Amino acid sequence: MLLLALGLPMVGSPFLALAGRRLGARVGWLALILPVMSTVLLGVLAMDRSLPARWGVELPWVPTLGLNLSFLVDGLSLMFGLVVSGMGCLVIFHAIFYLGTDYAHLGRFYSYLALFMGAMLGTVFADHVVLLFLFWELTGVTSFLLIGFLHGEEKSRVGARQALLVTGSTGLALFAGVMLLQRATGTSSLSVLLERGLPWGERGGELSLAMVLMLVGAFGKSAQFPFHFWLPNAMAAPTPVSAYLHSATMVKLGVFLVARMYPLFVVSPLWLPLLGTVGFTTMLLAAVLALVSHDLKSILAWSTISQLGFLIGQYGLGPVGGVGHDQLHLLNHVLYKGCLFMVAGVAMHATGLRDVREMGGLFRRLPLLGMAAVLAGGSMAGLPGTLGFLGKEAMLADLFQPLRDGASPWVLYAVGCAGVASVVKIAFSLRLVTGVFFGKEPDGVALQYHAPGLGMQLPALLLAAGSLLFGVWPGLLDGLFGQWAVEGLNRPKPLAVWHGWSVELFTSAGMVMMGVLLHEVGRRTGWRGWRIPGVLQADKAFEWLVERFQGWTKVWTRGLRADRPADHLPIVVTFVVMALGAGLLGLVPGLAERLWPEDVGMDPLRTGVAGLIAMTVVGVLVLRRWTAQLISLAVSGFLTCFYFVLYRAPDLALTQILVETVTLILVLLLLARFPNSAQVGEETRRPGRWTHYFHIGLSLATGCVATGLILVVTSAPHPEPLGARYLEQTVPLAKGSNAVNTLLVDFRGFDTLGEVTVLVVATLGCLGLLMRYKRTPEETRQGPLGPPGFGVEEQRED
Amino acid sequence: MALETALLVGVMFTVATYLILQRSFVRILFGFLILTNAANLFVLSMSGRPNGRSAPVVLEKGVPMVDPLPQALILTAIVIGFGVAAYLVFLLYRLFLDRRTTNATEMYEEP
Repeated sequence: MLLLALGLPMVGSPFLALAGRRLGARVGWLALILPVMSTVLLGVLAMDRSLPARWGVELPWVPTLGLNLSFLVDGLSLMFGLVVSGMGCLVIFHAIFYLGTDYAHLGRFYSYLALFMGAMLGTVFADHVVLLFLFWELTGVTSFLLIGFLHGEEKSRVGARQALLVTGSTGLALFAGVMLLQRATGTSSLSVLLERGLPWGERGGELSLAMVLMLVGAFGKSAQFPFHFWLPNAMAAPTPVSAYLHSATMVKLGVFLVARMYPLFVVSPLWLPLLGTVGFTTMLLAAVLALVSHDLKSILAWSTISQLGFLIGQYGLGPVGGVGHDQLHLLNHVLYKGCLFMVAGVAMHATGLRDVREMGGLFRRLPLLGMAAVLAGGSMAGLPGTLGFLGKEAMLADLFQPLRDGASPWVLYAVGCAGVASVVKIAFSLRLVTGVFFGKEPDGVALQYHAPGLGMQLPALLLAAGSLLFGVWPGLLDGLFGQWAVEGLNRPKPLAVWHGWSVELFTSAGMVMMGVLLHEVGRRTGWRGWRIPGVLQADKAFEWLVERFQGWTKVWTRGLRADRPADHLPIVVTFVVMALGAGLLGLVPGLAERLWPEDVGMDPLRTGVAGLIAMTVVGVLVLRRWTAQLISLAVSGFLTCFYFVLYRAPDLALTQILVETVTLILVLLLLARFPNSAQVGEETRRPGRWTHYFHIGLSLATGCVATGLILVVTSAPHPEPLGARYLEQTVPLAKGSNAVNTLLVDFRGFDTLGEVTVLVVATLGCLGLLMRYKRTPEETRQGPLGPPGFGVEEQRED
Repeated sequence: MALETALLVGVMFTVATYLILQRSFVRILFGFLILTNAANLFVLSMSGRPNGRSAPVVLEKGVPMVDPLPQALILTAIVIGFGVAAYLVFLLYRLFLDRRTTNATEMYEEP
């Protein structure tokens, strides 16, 4: 059942792309089936109390690598799974109305969305850490495709690239961390790790490094400082995508990972400083940036980042036994942020505007949507009557608890950041709701307004209603959270609307007042001069870096002279010689004896022939005229035939004679075509003296390395050479006595086929080179004068 | 272990590398041809010293024979080397026709 729930979106995805061509906009209804099915299946699993608290499913995938499709089901994965599939239903429903028929390639859009959903479900249910990483990256890739869906616009392309680069590169850190974890613990199954715990005693260093690397991955995905800048740019995606990926699900993967790691890593001394500083810094920074943004979706993006910072930071503050309210915060954020995104989408759809300053007075036109926005905004601000109020009370309680116990500097920092951020958050929540729905209606709105359908608004209303329902009746959640509690991670406390006249309540009230005050200040000044300071525009810096990187690669390519083979070659040869030489010197034990054994084994005849070959080869170097060089070369080739004979290789000798002859004729023909002047001209350009010496040194080093390699390798022959087997089998299996022939034709016939293919390709290449027809300027202007052919003679005359 | 082969291959590699590093296309071609032979001999030397062994043709039992595997590899290599050499020859010819030069430096200078 679990596999069905996970697999459906994956399997269904390509069909959606195909169906999109036939059905057009109606494909959305087809797409809706997938998340609904998944939600129902997961819901049944979640409600089934006969199942153990943690169980798993395993399917073999790549057994040789120990990589199986193993899934882990516990409270955490079920909760995230339900959020993913449930939001999937609402978002696709919303998208059907939002996108309408305005967009092209709708099938592809839903296909990406379904694939993304499958990847998300895979990530949260993955048991094998490598599997988790694979799905993690798949969400990144699908997110890239979805952000860049409107690839006609540059903003989409830039945003998509940024998202991919940031989440992709931090994903690599996650991979490194996962690998380290695997090495340190000897297992890659999360369920096994959760049962056994980590060996902090023996492998503490490795585990700490793994933790930091995995957290970097989580920070990147959840857009935490200093990777916070990609999320607002990812808002170039269609609004349903933003609502789904960039608020409700994908960016929560970082939170999910931190929650997964919590029971294992919370004892680490680095846990609190790292999560506390990063999380709460992000919370404050993003809240301030949200207040000074004016674009509707940017405000929402920054506020999402801020809330994610809090979600991650609260895990940092948590005590060893488990945190109290993470499920509440998570659910709360899903409800109000998903709602607000959809509200924003509807408002933008209805008015065609994005800037809060240009909007206003929509409440009269869209009262239902306005109610939803008020509820969700109130939930974001933490006003009573909503789930956000409970969340804020819980947050303050969790923050004050360690303060009373005796504060460390980290906790003080966290409390400070969270306090200021909450005030700012109230201000921008207020601004968002009043700015869009209340006040005077600007002319732009009246001019462009067209009424959105009820279907588009419905998901937002549902989410807002949920926020309200749970807010006034939190007892509903108690049972659910208790059932989903994971040992070592959650310690759910009962929720209540009224906690009495506590410190938290007064603090909360004080914050609301300060927030309203802050908003009032902004409103009076007309939000003039409120914009993101240049120093904090990290996305610009990142773009600059990416652009510069392209420049650097160019410098490198130029520096290595890859565009000029003649200059590039010495670099390559030097590298090869140095690598092989270093290997010879460093890795082979007893190099001296192996290079110069007692039994030198010089055969007089072979030595003589070898000396002759060497002489002719050096002759090629010394002789000045091409013809003389060629003759010397040919002699060396034929002597090599003789050398093959001495090595008991008659087949080689025969082939070599043939090939040598044909090559000689070919090169002679070539040289005959060259005029004498070319040969004279050759000597006029000589390289500089030092280049010359460098070439000589490099050549000598190459020769030495080659000699050394032969001596070292042959000094210790393999005890069972493969050739012996071929010699044994050549008569019984291949019915031929010549082992070389049977090897080529029978045993390794396909290799010979490949060899013949190479010859054919070379022949075609030669033919192409000969036939290439160079047009004269007149022909380029007038078109070809005659059929292309061996246009050699004409060429020689011009 | 065959010292003379090792030295010979060393000499051939030295000369071939030097020639290939030159600017003259013809010399590069010659260097390539020498390099082919040098590489073949390199592989051949891996079959060990042939003294007291016969060619890998099984006529009667019990006679020690040389390793046929390097020979098979070289046979393929010779043919492919020839294919590439032929291609190089035609490439040079074409270059000369189009650019009127047999020298790499001149080719860069006069695009």
